[in-house]
Amino acid sequence: MLLSIENLYVKYGNIEALHGISFHVNEGEIVTLIGANGAGKSTTLNSIMRLPPPEAPRVISGDIKFRGQSILNVEPHDVVAKLNLALAPEGRRIFGNLTVMENLTLATYARKNDPDTEIKRDLDRIFDLFPRLAERKTQRSESLSGGEQQMLAVGRAIMTKCDMLLLDEPSMGLAPLLMYEMFRTLKQINQEDGLTIVVVEQNAKVALSLAHRGYVLDTGEIVASGAADELANDPEVKKAYLGG
Amino acid sequence: METLLQGFLQYIINSLQWGSFYALIAVGYTLVYGVLLLINFAHGDIFMVGAYIAFFISSMLITYLGGMAGGWTLVALAVPLTMLLTACVGVTLERVAYRPLRRKGAHRLYVVITALMCGLILENGNLALLGASRKKFPEMVDTIVLSIGGASITNLKLLVIFAAVAVFLFLHWIVTKTKLGMAMRAVSFDKFAVPLMGIPLNTVIVFTFILGSGFAGLAGLLFAMSYPILEPYMGALIGWKAFIAAVVGGIGDIRGAFIGGFLLAFIEIGVASVLPSSFRDLFAFSILLVILWIKPTGLFGVAKTTKI
Repeated sequence: MLLSIENLYVKYGNIEALHGISFHVNEGEIVTLIGANGAGKSTTLNSIMRLPPPEAPRVISGDIKFRGQSILNVEPHDVVAKLNLALAPEGRRIFGNLTVMENLTLATYARKNDPDTEIKRDLDRIFDLFPRLAERKTQRSESLSGGEQQMLAVGRAIMTKCDMLLLDEPSMGLAPLLMYEMFRTLKQINQEDGLTIVVVEQNAKVALSLAHRGYVLDTGEIVASGAADELANDPEVKKAYLGG
Repeated sequence: METLLQGFLQYIINSLQWGSFYALIAVGYTLVYGVLLLINFAHGDIFMVGAYIAFFISSMLITYLGGMAGGWTLVALAVPLTMLLTACVGVTLERVAYRPLRRKGAHRLYVVITALMCGLILENGNLALLGASRKKFPEMVDTIVLSIGGASITNLKLLVIFAAVAVFLFLHWIVTKTKLGMAMRAVSFDKFAVPLMGIPLNTVIVFTFILGSGFAGLAGLLFAMSYPILEPYMGALIGWKAFIAAVVGGIGDIRGAFIGGFLLAFIEIGVASVLPSSFRDLFAFSILLVILWIKPTGLFGVAKTTKI
């Protein structure tokens, strides 16, 4: 088990956002957390990344374990640099004043001990997965289209050298065609590179078609879980999240 | 006709020298603002502390090495030592004054007030430690007056202008070619995603203070070499002016700090050359006011996008 969330309660100020959720992610899996707006999906990811308030809430009780170790006291930059988790956050949050190449280079900040050839190889892999980024290497990233920005956000996360990639609403704002392309690429990364992926989505249909397993979050609680195809055929889930 | 040209050349040389002082200080305001959105009002006093550090280092160098080494060797030693120690002062302020507030999530207003207080503490600490008497900065190199087209320029003025150009090029290299420099630009755009790149925010902040305070130290040394009288309040007015220069240039933008610094000097000295010098600051600041009136974000400032 790579990641386990154990009975996690968190609060923003006085408001409890997660009421004791538990789930786990195995190595090599794609797991999705689906649910409506405000269900606690982003809260969960930001908690795992140990982001400081106001982005992430305070943990009241419960635990987050990565490779069996509690990571509650790990600094956010060490979650990336030492534990090798990475997040492509909601709203992409790329550095618009930097070029595409600079965004990707910055992500290798903590990889000081990795040989240049390895970093070059990873960079080539990103350009191989997202050829459009290669074409736009020297462009300021705020001039990219929404889809390209999402590719950059994912590419940047991978460039930090991660064992587990967390994605927060990667489909948001993308045209359907681009969205399918993005999910195909994610599947490819998972299959060819063995990268473990946790994807948070409002678009439950696409998310369940990508993932191996899924959890359904509703107002801070997990209300259903199981294999992705089972969830997709579950009448309750269908009714609430897949439009009947 | 010839005297007019001479006067003009002289005007350019003097403006470049003063613009260099303003620019070297203004860049410290702009760097810290770019990264923390904090107006570090203690920065003018860090310049003052830099001048005093330069005073002690230069005196010591002259005492111990004066017989053996030439004047320029002493300057070459004084520059890095002054910059290093002044950077330590800046980083100390960050650690003991600003970081605790940031950690507790204090509103920016309180941090700015803290910066103002830190400046006063530096001034009055100096007063308490060294007394109110002025210090005479020791002469390390002989001043050589060169003549260009009838206008005179000293080797010290050349050094000051050279230093400002070198710092600008160095900073440009830092923010475009090094990862820490890129991180500074990234923080100024969106702090949120910086830890997600595995970058400790505090490292970027400390680095920013090292750069800003180091250059203030350099300015302090060069200023003291050019105008060798030191007193605890010497950083107050020049600090304000450099801050205004940074704002007029577009605070947060490195080019803006340099352009703003030189612009202020050219306006100031231009006014002083046609009007009585008591009109200088009045006119200079009125002109800057008009510039901000036309472009409130400063010359290079863009409303809410890139900051460095």
